[in-house]
Amino acid sequence: MRAGWPFRPSGTTPAGRLPLRGADLVLIAMQSLWARAGVSNNTLLVVQCDAPIAPERIRRALDRFLGSCPWPAARLKRPFPWGKLHWAAGPPAARVPPPVRRRSVASRAELHRELEAELNSAIDPRRESPLRFLLVDCGPEPATAQGFLVLTWFHPLMDPRGGQNLLMHLAHLDPDDDHAPRAGAPPSFVPDPDPRPLRERGRLGRRSLRYMRTLAPVPPVSPGTGLTAPGRVRFRQEGFVEDHSSAHSERATREITWRLALVGKAMAGLWDRRGLPAVPFLVPISVDLRPKGDAGPTFGNWLAFHFARFSPAETADVAGLARALRAQMADAVRDGQIEANAVAMEFLHYRPPSLMRRYLPAGSSGETFSFNCADLVDFPAALERLFGRSVVNAYHVPAVLPRPGIGVFFNRCASTNNLVVSWIDGAVSEEEVARIVEVVRDGMEWTRLP
Amino acid sequence: MEPDQIADALTAFINASIMARGHPVQPTDDLEAAGLDSMALLKVLLFVEAEFGFWIPDEDLVRDNLRSPLALANYICQRQSPS
Repeated sequence: MRAGWPFRPSGTTPAGRLPLRGADLVLIAMQSLWARAGVSNNTLLVVQCDAPIAPERIRRALDRFLGSCPWPAARLKRPFPWGKLHWAAGPPAARVPPPVRRRSVASRAELHRELEAELNSAIDPRRESPLRFLLVDCGPEPATAQGFLVLTWFHPLMDPRGGQNLLMHLAHLDPDDDHAPRAGAPPSFVPDPDPRPLRERGRLGRRSLRYMRTLAPVPPVSPGTGLTAPGRVRFRQEGFVEDHSSAHSERATREITWRLALVGKAMAGLWDRRGLPAVPFLVPISVDLRPKGDAGPTFGNWLAFHFARFSPAETADVAGLARALRAQMADAVRDGQIEANAVAMEFLHYRPPSLMRRYLPAGSSGETFSFNCADLVDFPAALERLFGRSVVNAYHVPAVLPRPGIGVFFNRCASTNNLVVSWIDGAVSEEEVARIVEVVRDGMEWTRLP
Repeated sequence: MEPDQIADALTAFINASIMARGHPVQPTDDLEAAGLDSMALLKVLLFVEAEFGFWIPDEDLVRDNLRSPLALANYICQRQSPS
């Protein structure tokens, strides 16, 4: 074993067994509605490099990583007849590294088809590794061949920040020597358990459940409402740069409330054209619980949720809506609802997925949210070079479920602002997605990259 | 209070409530570069409200005012000084 660090179990976590976090369980519960349709719960991290990456370097780094941390080789298990869902990894000698595949494509259109195939090829974590790598060599168009590293994982395994952290760990293990790649303490791959007493956590959890039951007196409507035969997951990605000469460049447009207000405006247009009922929008906003300045844990979705509510009519005044959404979030922080949400989700551990949905706003109806929207963090400057190549751009593509059927995701890599829209065929059309992208681009005053 | 004192109070809050241990910010550090996101900024706004008695209006949430603890402290001083 050429491990850089020994695995550091977290608190009470026995080595070889990692319980899922609350947000992981919510993701599993929401997918379980579509279990028979084989709907994908994959998410992608696509990293564009200036030249193809050698697969041997990734395989070698993975081998080293598995010596320190077993979770990429783990399987999802639940003890019979009862017990916590958890990731289980065998002894080091029995750990099979995740697959690393390579493809060559001739054009960007072909690359996009490969990426959509990757998104739709649902990972079954009970039977296979919860993540996999795909290296795509893209040439001769554009003239200079480029390499794409695609990390695909079962979304409940980790969040987008976790995906980036995993790449960072692998990049540290890439150099061709036997020395530990980092000085000091080994990284913590999983978060420490909540140290608060059960009584206090129970009080917070009950409070959050009471609050969530007040959020959606009328079940939300989504583009996927009524969709009986969900199609494939599709996505569109575009890169933009900020216009520093615009009046809005002074404004804090990086705020999620401004971005959500713009996406809300685009969705209100879609609702109007479709004649969808003008019931209030309900949108989950993920809040990263990691302390800032450090990479933090890798595995588990270390998130809590805030639930934004607004009506389609309110989107006519984007600045006013952004202000109202910020006030809503401020109230949720003041009242401790976001912290309470994180605690409440941890109590889902012993419930079967069908019962977990009852603990989401309007979850019992199956209509959980109107659409998804998230800012999926900056790609770290520490990964400017990866496996011997320079990173040109990087973005995340989470699969969305047939309900709500569409999600809009932001991220930034160096000076490029990426906008990714994922949708389900049948819930939204390509033309509708193009309109949504244009409304957001216009509101952000971004300039399209060629 | 002087801007330096306010900046120290803001820096202490950010380091205790938002930053990871071992990764403290200084009063002149760029907060966005330090990793503060929308939710972290909101916590800072709530701290300002609790400590200095006002909610920063939307039109003042611009980069110049939010760039660093010291920039925010200068803004708070301007707000508090009688015009």
